[in-house]
Amino acid sequence: MSDEMTVGRDFDFHGPALDNIFDTYSELRSQCPVGRSEKHGGFWFLTKSDDIFEAEQSPETFSVAPSMLLPAFGTDTPMIPIDIDPPEHTAYRRILLPLFTPKAIARLEDGMQRTARELATEVAAQEVVDVSSMYARPMPTIIFSRLAGFPEEDWPKFDRWVDDIIYERTVDPERAWKAGQEVMDYFDALLRSRAGESDQGDIISHLLHAEIEGRKLSHEELLSYCYLLFVAGLDTTAWAIRSSLWYLAQHPAEQDRLRRNPELITTAAEEFLRTLSPVQAMARTCLRDTEVSGQKIQEGDRVVLVFGAGNRDPEVYEDPDQIVLDRQNNRHLAFGGGIHRCLGSNLGRRELVVALEQFLSTVEHFSLENPNEQWHGVGPLTLRIGR
Amino acid sequence: MSSVYHVSVDPQRCQGHARCLAFAPEVFEFDDEGYSYIPEERSRFVELSEDLKLAIANCPERAILVKEESRV
Repeated sequence: MSDEMTVGRDFDFHGPALDNIFDTYSELRSQCPVGRSEKHGGFWFLTKSDDIFEAEQSPETFSVAPSMLLPAFGTDTPMIPIDIDPPEHTAYRRILLPLFTPKAIARLEDGMQRTARELATEVAAQEVVDVSSMYARPMPTIIFSRLAGFPEEDWPKFDRWVDDIIYERTVDPERAWKAGQEVMDYFDALLRSRAGESDQGDIISHLLHAEIEGRKLSHEELLSYCYLLFVAGLDTTAWAIRSSLWYLAQHPAEQDRLRRNPELITTAAEEFLRTLSPVQAMARTCLRDTEVSGQKIQEGDRVVLVFGAGNRDPEVYEDPDQIVLDRQNNRHLAFGGGIHRCLGSNLGRRELVVALEQFLSTVEHFSLENPNEQWHGVGPLTLRIGR
Repeated sequence: MSSVYHVSVDPQRCQGHARCLAFAPEVFEFDDEGYSYIPEERSRFVELSEDLKLAIANCPERAILVKEESRV
């Protein structure tokens, strides 16, 4: 009993804990697939794919209030719709749905291809280059900001806000909250400047004209949507592109295989999403006493669904820790599931595939210049271009 | 007696991941909110193609239902 209770006590899924988190997952899985960590105010963690799936399907037991993020994303304001439970959640989410359907995303295809090609061409001209700042980050920032209606002159500010809110929050919460306030102020001003305009065809216009139960969205609701779109739309895809390139930089044969068989890239992208997921975990709050894999969890307890661990669950995947580029059965949890499934998954997937296609067809052989750079995050990824 | 497979998408479970569309675009349709469905007139199959089996196996919500029906 005491042993079981101590394993996992220090479990964390942020910052340096990510360096060897896949070993941590193996250890937790074998000793306490549902366990208790004392980090971030204390939480239960679920590491088995089936347990995570069941929790996602049970929003009446596992609430997203006060926030899906643990710790918070530099704000107390619940983000619409991810931090909202049913029944309010349903109408809030529905407003965004038509913008992210496969058809809607297909209309962005030409812009994505062009942007990725332009950026890849710049990378190809270098010898040693940080592809995180030159490629993995700008590509989704440009695509998403155009779609959302975030003005181009403001893009240079975005990376630092994302870094402070998402990555610095565990090290320096004050910095995250300061950046959170700056982002709120930024969207407050942007929304005010655009009030009353005709439809511009971007997401902000869509929200300004949207109706919920016969009324327009309030300024506070609009602000909350914008904040979420900002923190969700830029960084996750950048991580996915960066981590895929990190893997390929170390596996020249796999690089060549994808260059020779570009039709394999969509399948490979799923495998990168499964094994190197940008969102390793998300939190819930238990609304009533329940039990998961024999472990009692009490009303009010925080629960973390560890997608990254579920994605390497040996009960679900053959050789779960192997990156198999043509893996066929790949029902993974990278975008979560249930009513809070990542709304941008069709966009994120397409951006990742296009980014890899253009990179591989434009940039010749590439390898890691600095082997100390980690698989995770959106920090520098320094590559040597050419053999 | 021979049978056919009736395949459908459970609208309560589908969350619009669109994996089925990636594997079997000839089978699945999407509504304006991005949810998947199979038009009734093409929902019966004498056998399940490899693509359709992959679509079923890869649905993150396990929302694609297969029922065996005896052929009239």
